[in-house]
Amino acid sequence: MDAFYVSVELRRRPELRGKPVVVGGDGPRGVVAAASYEARRFGVHSALASSIAKRRCPHAVFLPGDHAHYSEVSREVRDVFERYTPLVEPLSLDEAFLDVSGSIELLGDGPTIARALRAAIRDELQLGCSVGVAPNKFLAKLASVDAKPRASRDGIERGPGVVEIVAGEERAYLEPLPVERLWGVGPATLAKLNRIGIYTVADLTTVGAPALAASLGQSQARHLTELAVGHDDRPVEPDQAIKSISHEETYAEDLATIEELRTEVVRMSDAVARRLRRQKIGARTVALKLRFTDGFRTITRQTTTPEPIDQASIIAELLIPLLEPIDPTPGIRLVGVSGSNLGPVHQQLSFDDLAGAEPGTRESTVDEIRDRFGAEAIGPASAVRNGKLRTVRPGAQQWGPNQTPPE
Amino acid sequence: MKFRCERDVLADAVTSAGRAATNRTGTLPVLAGVRMEVTGDELVVIGTDLELTIRLTVDVGGERDGAVVVPARLVADIIRALPAGAAEVELGEEELAISAGRSQFSVRPLALDDYPAQAEPSADAVTLSADVMRDALRQVVRAASSDDARAVLTGVLLAAEEDGLRMVATDSYRLAVRDLPESSVLGSGQRVLIPARALAELQRVLDGDDELTVRLGEREVVFEAGSTRLTTRLIEGDFPNYRNLLPSSHPNVLTVDKGGMLEAIRRVKILAQDSTPVRLTVGGDTVQLTALTQDVGNAAEEIDASYDGTKMTVAFNPDYLSAGIDAIDSEEITLSTMDPMKPAVIRGAGVEDYLYLLMPVRVP
Repeated sequence: MDAFYVSVELRRRPELRGKPVVVGGDGPRGVVAAASYEARRFGVHSALASSIAKRRCPHAVFLPGDHAHYSEVSREVRDVFERYTPLVEPLSLDEAFLDVSGSIELLGDGPTIARALRAAIRDELQLGCSVGVAPNKFLAKLASVDAKPRASRDGIERGPGVVEIVAGEERAYLEPLPVERLWGVGPATLAKLNRIGIYTVADLTTVGAPALAASLGQSQARHLTELAVGHDDRPVEPDQAIKSISHEETYAEDLATIEELRTEVVRMSDAVARRLRRQKIGARTVALKLRFTDGFRTITRQTTTPEPIDQASIIAELLIPLLEPIDPTPGIRLVGVSGSNLGPVHQQLSFDDLAGAEPGTRESTVDEIRDRFGAEAIGPASAVRNGKLRTVRPGAQQWGPNQTPPE
Repeated sequence: MKFRCERDVLADAVTSAGRAATNRTGTLPVLAGVRMEVTGDELVVIGTDLELTIRLTVDVGGERDGAVVVPARLVADIIRALPAGAAEVELGEEELAISAGRSQFSVRPLALDDYPAQAEPSADAVTLSADVMRDALRQVVRAASSDDARAVLTGVLLAAEEDGLRMVATDSYRLAVRDLPESSVLGSGQRVLIPARALAELQRVLDGDDELTVRLGEREVVFEAGSTRLTTRLIEGDFPNYRNLLPSSHPNVLTVDKGGMLEAIRRVKILAQDSTPVRLTVGGDTVQLTALTQDVGNAAEEIDASYDGTKMTVAFNPDYLSAGIDAIDSEEITLSTMDPMKPAVIRGAGVEDYLYLLMPVRVP
């Protein structure tokens, strides 16, 4: 999808069309989640610190992220995809792989399907997208990037919308590309490659395997040699099983006491438990993540229970003791809670459960209230600050905090 | 001290008493031993951890009186390993010599003077049928908890009822209640809590004897059967009010063959790994048992049954379920329940003196 979050926002705020718009956290520690092509002309891009974005493009309109809404729209986009093939593997809210090899006879070749898909998304959802058509996932992703519009200081260049890499022409397409376009080449690997004189994909194919292995290690060398000639045999996998569920939040102001951390752990546990129950699953391993302000040092602590759990109170009870030995005085900017090692919840009921309400009713009642009245309708008492409940909205904090509204 | 004794008799005595000995850290080191004392032709073997004491009296060929404390497990292992026949035990200056045939062992004793003194029981004796008691213990002790976090649940409640004695145990997931009409040990309205661990030992001891003598003291209870005396302290505290848990009515009743049901659970349980429950689906002329472990596999079995009630699926921990069914003394059992979140009652068909109440497992 082209500038997905921004495009979704522009559907509700058409008056902002043609202006530099940024979605993300606008607080001191916020980051840019998405920028309109107009904002990109000024060098604003996703993952940029919002403070820098504001400096580069002071007249940009900052909008807070509305993750719940983007998820909804993402679902609508996926519904369109699924008209063309059942084999849809979502990569994120705004990217997906589609295996259309079974649809070609019925719907036409790859580029034909790609054009039909773009038209449907434009007409029905008023959103832009770019499609890469290729024999495998790696090349398709590469082509989709080349299909996108491009913003530069001089203006916005409309992208081709659909780019195809035809089987047999993979190498011709890849060789002129800078080597960092290959999947898995980050800054560290790039530095190593540059050191042995590799700058383009073509350079990579001419270097002998032993030299490459000596510099990158056996497995990464093999991985890159395969990609350099366009090989990638990963299948498109729809419905990949969830491996973990997590929530984390970056705070506009550091947390510095165990009490504050405890409150945040309760809030995050509540959010994680709610999503576990939604997926009708429990976590056997629960983990805590803390990032200190000095040097971005991040620590994680985890514990495992014999039975998968899906209740906020139990998750919090397991994690809070892990805070004990931690000294928060240097200041903590991020707290995260996650559940992994997932499995179905089997809860051996006890006679003690009979004394109060029906077992599990507390959780199901909370879920029902939230489904009907929203996430802020009910939450842990410790999450009340200044008479306001601060529950965790999924994704609300993904891009750092917004400026705290004046109390 | 010097005596001769048949190997098997001596091995049994040392092993039985040794079960009360303890290697727990933080206790007196001497408690890891058994105390042996010969007086004339009588050997007394004692093991204790200060909570439970097991004392056996054995007839031996005594030569010289005396007493010693030796490491319980080691000496039991030695005696069991001796060649069959008579064994000779003699306390020397520094060591206890144990020999039989051409085998010779010598063991360094523990500090005799550190061994706690044993008081003779003083309370009045009451006699019960050993058979009846053994049966009742078998049915009840299994439901007690082994988790020391809630000490009262590690005990079995003995309570005087209008028409006899009642024994109750629960680990908060299941509850066993056995009535012993016409048996009375307690005063009217009296209740005592006896550690389940002691009663499990008593159960072993009761094999083959006719009578069980019980002396109930203020803080402890003494059981005597044959040549064995078992003393245990009582647990202090209030046993939970279990009466509230006993459902007054059950709309859904399953009747099924005990042996067939146990066999089916045993098989299906193989696929109930990692605390996965076994599910019972009732309704119609059969009961279906299923177990499914994610990423491993599943098992299903159907057995004939009669059922009166609404169709439903209830899940149970297979070990708790089979323990309850196994405790029943009749060929047919009934499993009655209200709904899949409420406790189920397991009874022998037409048997009123025992029930096993079991909480289900909540499944997604």
